[in-house]
Amino acid sequence: MFLNAVFAAASLLAAVCHVDALWPLPRSLSEGTSALRLSYGFHITLPPDIASPPLDLIEAVARTQAYLFTDNLGRLVVGRGASDVSAFETAPYLPELTLSLAPGSTVLSITAEAQKPLGERDEAYTLTVPSNGSAASITATSTLGLFRGLTTFGQLWYEYDGTIYAINTPLEVEDSPAYPYRGLLLDTARNYFPVSDLLRQLDAMSMVKINQFHWHVVDSQSFALQIPGYEELAEYGAYSPQMIYSASDVVEIVSYAGARGIDVLVEIDTPGHTAAIGDAHPDFVACNLARPWADYAAEPPAGQLRMANKTVAEWTAGLFSAVAEMFPSTIVSTGGDEVNTYCYQEDPETQAILKASDSTLEEALNTFVMGTHGALLKAGKTPAVWEEMVLDYNLTLSNETLVLVWISSEDVQAVAEKGFRVIHAASNYFYLDCGAGEWIGDDPSGNSWCDPFKTWQYTYTFDPLANLTTEQYPLIMGGQQNLWTEQSSPSNLDPIVWPRAASSAEVFWSGAGGNLTAALPRLHDVSFRMQQRGINSIPLQPLWAVQDFAVVLDAHV
Amino acid sequence: MFRKAVLVAGFLAVVSRVDALWPLPTTLSEGTSALRLSYGFHIAVSPSVGFPPLDLTEAIVQTQTYLLTDDLGRLVVGRGASDVSAFETAAYLSELTLTLKPGSEVNSITTEAQKPIEERDEAYTLSVPANGSAAVIEATSTLGLFRGLTTFSQLWYTYEGTIYAVNTPVEIDDTPAYPYRGLLLDTARNYFPVADILRTLDAMSWVKINEFHWHVVDSQSFPLEIPGYEELATYGAYGPGMVYTAADVENIVSYAGARGIDVLVEIDTPGHTAAIADAHPDYVACNDARPWADFANEPPAGQIRFATPDVASWTAGLFTAVSKMFPSSIVSTGGDEINQNCYEKDEPTMTILNATGEPFAEAFQNALNDFVGGTHSALKSAGKTPAVWEEMVLDFNLTLADDTLVLVWISSDDVKAVADKGFRIIHAASNYFYLDCGGGGWVGDYPAGDSWCDPFKTWQYSYTFDPLANLTSDQYHLIMGGQHNLWTEQSSASNLDPIVWPRAAASAELFWSGAGGNVTAALPRLHDASFRMQQRGVNSIPLQPLWCALRPFECDLTW
Repeated sequence: MFLNAVFAAASLLAAVCHVDALWPLPRSLSEGTSALRLSYGFHITLPPDIASPPLDLIEAVARTQAYLFTDNLGRLVVGRGASDVSAFETAPYLPELTLSLAPGSTVLSITAEAQKPLGERDEAYTLTVPSNGSAASITATSTLGLFRGLTTFGQLWYEYDGTIYAINTPLEVEDSPAYPYRGLLLDTARNYFPVSDLLRQLDAMSMVKINQFHWHVVDSQSFALQIPGYEELAEYGAYSPQMIYSASDVVEIVSYAGARGIDVLVEIDTPGHTAAIGDAHPDFVACNLARPWADYAAEPPAGQLRMANKTVAEWTAGLFSAVAEMFPSTIVSTGGDEVNTYCYQEDPETQAILKASDSTLEEALNTFVMGTHGALLKAGKTPAVWEEMVLDYNLTLSNETLVLVWISSEDVQAVAEKGFRVIHAASNYFYLDCGAGEWIGDDPSGNSWCDPFKTWQYTYTFDPLANLTTEQYPLIMGGQQNLWTEQSSPSNLDPIVWPRAASSAEVFWSGAGGNLTAALPRLHDVSFRMQQRGINSIPLQPLWAVQDFAVVLDAHV
Repeated sequence: MFRKAVLVAGFLAVVSRVDALWPLPTTLSEGTSALRLSYGFHIAVSPSVGFPPLDLTEAIVQTQTYLLTDDLGRLVVGRGASDVSAFETAAYLSELTLTLKPGSEVNSITTEAQKPIEERDEAYTLSVPANGSAAVIEATSTLGLFRGLTTFSQLWYTYEGTIYAVNTPVEIDDTPAYPYRGLLLDTARNYFPVADILRTLDAMSWVKINEFHWHVVDSQSFPLEIPGYEELATYGAYGPGMVYTAADVENIVSYAGARGIDVLVEIDTPGHTAAIADAHPDYVACNDARPWADFANEPPAGQIRFATPDVASWTAGLFTAVSKMFPSSIVSTGGDEINQNCYEKDEPTMTILNATGEPFAEAFQNALNDFVGGTHSALKSAGKTPAVWEEMVLDFNLTLADDTLVLVWISSDDVKAVADKGFRIIHAASNYFYLDCGGGGWVGDYPAGDSWCDPFKTWQYSYTFDPLANLTSDQYHLIMGGQHNLWTEQSSASNLDPIVWPRAAASAELFWSGAGGNVTAALPRLHDASFRMQQRGVNSIPLQPLWCALRPFECDLTW
């Protein structure tokens, strides 16, 4: 009987006090069991030694203060915080959070820090929240680090009956990401997404410290990007005049992202996936709308740039020069997936050129890619490519090229063996669209090509270093979840992405090997906080389970 | 050369085919003439209707509003630009007349929709001449008129301010293949605000679904406020803001009725009742018992002590009270997934069963029979037909009334066995009609977890379902229809629309138009229904890239 009582009390207490709040989990975290209330006069003070703080830091501070008072998130326990009253009603008030940069730190905007090359991004910070009501503090060596600290700070607070409180002070966090690249890909070509939907994604991404928006902006189905000097592409290739990202939309999206610690990697997929260019430049595109499409392309409509044509290759290089000017990121992707060789074999013009120059398709491809990559390098950019550019062809890519593995995580090792830096984006772990059925018509029994659905749990168990040798580890830059939008639109954007994409955000911030069972309550927390902030993140369980400690729900309990 | 021209003509036929109506009418003849909606267009009620019921008047107003506000560009390249030459000289339609055939009884749409299944009259004819003379909907009930209005509103597109149809003259003679076409929503695993339910009812009515199967309570929560039994929601709901009050129910039922939808409420018993224990712990066996998997299919465990006479009569009383809240002629008592181990480990139950002196299996069965007999006779007294999940027929030998409706959920393979017992059947099989499957496991600590009913049920797969498979022709009459089902372990208002629409339209057409529809031909029409839903504020998802939606068949496998 005694044993029983001790057991019950101790284990129950432990469960109650454990705080399931932070996502991604910080590198080191020590938390107490004292409650702390947020003072009505709570304010965040900027580093005193900065003469003129960057505007986006000031805005981030204002936004954080707003979230603290408007999140209005009841803690995910039965009673939604009623049981915390006795703990917080006598707790001290926190009046202040101070931000400070370590001596000698260069003061740049969050945006400038976020847009630095992968190897130079500084996202580390420490956060201290004393339990006695003295000021909390975030210190970092960059404004981007301060911003990450603000994001963490914003996850500590709950609301009950007008009181905003934390229950896990004193708190000491020392944090920095395991991998420098944590991304989300959104395809805006299969279906179009209004700018406001993209901005909302950027907000959600920043909540879980994702720092790279991989914008697959155009494809064979539509060309939504208005590029100065190349306006005809969107004019003829977009779904409609209203379904275009204008140059000023791009400025807005890039700056909104930057202020939230997110860099925008734009992809103009070439030479495949370019049928939409045929709307403005039919002469530039081989096998344009050819049938049966399945012989010429992985998806309808068929159409690929006539890469062997010198005019087309130079035009495309010029296109990348223009795109490079629109996006301050150091990375631009030239795509390169799913090049269909049959399309070129059947294209008389391409065959004539190859014959005349006595060159192979691969040589023509190399010339083409060297042209686009040369334009990017000249603009100070690092090219990124899909894995085929490395695994299927023998091209003279520069060593710094970033390679995204999408077909299968099994291919990572082969890319690493060629010495390229790798971004994990494998369909078998990170494709958000899989498992919801075939979108190709006339295929009654059709399931998606990449079945099954990738659960957050499965993604979470991904090992970024699997099959690699220790000397290859530095090649792994991080990874991303990907939403291809054949069956997505604003109607289901939030629910198909969130909270699942938070799964890779934690894998690549906190490192692999996280415990699923322990993660679930924290993932509930971030999902519910997203809902409070207007993002339609979905529930992973009945509310009953969320409130009654998800642990109880485990299969074997 | 000649052959080529003929081929082009064939192409034209495809282009001018209108991919608009969902579900497909029983018979449809359409022309290729355009027709414009006059600015002064109005819907008139013929004297045959007499003084029109309020909900018919409201439906007319709603239809007129949709015509003017749908603002749907036709799903072709240019979104209607290529229709201008056809419609700019077209006649104007200024009137649609609603007529009831002589001798028709005039009831409200609501009253007609809430009739017993076999008495529902949804047939109508719709005629839209090409020359601008009045269009006519004729029926023998206001419900038929309502279905006709729904069809009529699917004919129209908007391009630069002009509202037009491209397929007149239209002649439709339409009536459903099956009288029951439903959608189940579970509001117990996660709660849905009333506004979300109303929006779902709107979308249901656009595809002529006529039954809302409301799985309102379950073990996780009891959000239904029942007069005389208020304590159940007080203690069993997720929170005071997550309760369906009696007034909410009235609102939902009347909103549904006015849209030709009957509300079949389910109080699942004796399993799936842990939430009752929050108010009445003594009524529930194995309440919150662990490991839950030994006592229930889902956490939390807990089942009503059906063998206890007080509990059984309390439950019968509960159904009497529920019956008063819902005008439908059908109420479901549930009956799925009864966990026997829960009762074997329950001392009060075993004491009662042992006292009978019968062997356990027999005593268990008799007690269950008494319990179900009690709840069903309460329903009978209230004039209701009971509905049950298939286990009540297949797993136990109960003395159920012959008119009991049986919902098959475990597998469509079980339909035959239910039919062999002579019961009327509603198709709800998980292998065809569960909208939640394929989205991953929700039980914690289960890394590999896929959903128990993988894979995802595509609209295409649901659409190919054969309601009469494996049955003999003398059993066909037992098939009342079917429904898609959304269990909401991983759903909330966040993903309600996109998880349901347009997929649930697949069964809506299957059970209205009959089986054997062609998936390839259906897709453009389903796009149309989905896009129109979006225009009306329902977050229905795209089934293909817009490029494909604007080019029917060009994204087919072998195009």
